[in-house]
Amino acid sequence: MTIPVGAFIAVSSILFFLGVTGVLVRRNAVVILMCVELMLNAANLALVAFSRRAGSVDERGSVFVVFVFVIAAAEVAVGLAIVLAAYRNRPTVDVDEVHAMKG
Amino acid sequence: MSYDFLETILFALLTIGIVGGAVGVVFLNRITGAALLMAFTFLCNAGMFVLLGAETIAAFQVLIYVGAITVLILYGVMFTPQQHRPYALFFQKQTPWAALFVAPIAIFVALFAFSFRDSAHPTPRGGDLVPLATSVFKDFAFPFEVASVLLLAAMIGAIVLVKRDEDE
Repeated sequence: MTIPVGAFIAVSSILFFLGVTGVLVRRNAVVILMCVELMLNAANLALVAFSRRAGSVDERGSVFVVFVFVIAAAEVAVGLAIVLAAYRNRPTVDVDEVHAMKG
Repeated sequence: MSYDFLETILFALLTIGIVGGAVGVVFLNRITGAALLMAFTFLCNAGMFVLLGAETIAAFQVLIYVGAITVLILYGVMFTPQQHRPYALFFQKQTPWAALFVAPIAIFVALFAFSFRDSAHPTPRGGDLVPLATSVFKDFAFPFEVASVLLLAAMIGAIVLVKRDEDE
């Protein structure tokens, strides 16, 4: 294997910050959910890459990735349900216009 | 003859796919295209897992992310109205502040990432399914059960949130 772990971590961090940018920048709630998924994927890549560092022998990184899959599935299901419920209350998916709880 | 250079070429192609797909998700105006590019990014990420020698995780990635989550997101796109809008109405109001906030942390994390120089070594033979399953059902048996309860709770919660009242 010729590729260093740092290269995978670099790709993972680029992906994570693209996700952060999307969450902070986009207005559409569905796109924000997509960007959260991108961030979770970046975390998965980092976990697998670190579990493949020279000297580590166990599969714990992969086990955590499996749990992240579970959390991601639950998160996107509940998140989309909340988006649809908010859309039913007032017909918009723009997070700027949903300010019922603004102080 | 060594085929090590193939690995590097594959890594470069997958990196281009991941970064390009993610940039598309963040900046594409057409939301269905953004969702499909997200699926493409997930697929390239599965390729990364194969490159790291985690074939089981790659299979899960294709099943759960490329299959289930993308379909769920596309349903969300279908049930909400999507109109095209100029770029001024496309970003949130705090976009410049967000960029200022993200950029320094991104640079710091990228520098940190490049400090890991030791090479990755995939599991030598037989794949990673057996050690993964042993670890899940031996060391992580209780978190596994908790995760199943969490999935059940999320399913019930999603149904309750979206359900319409009878008299509506």
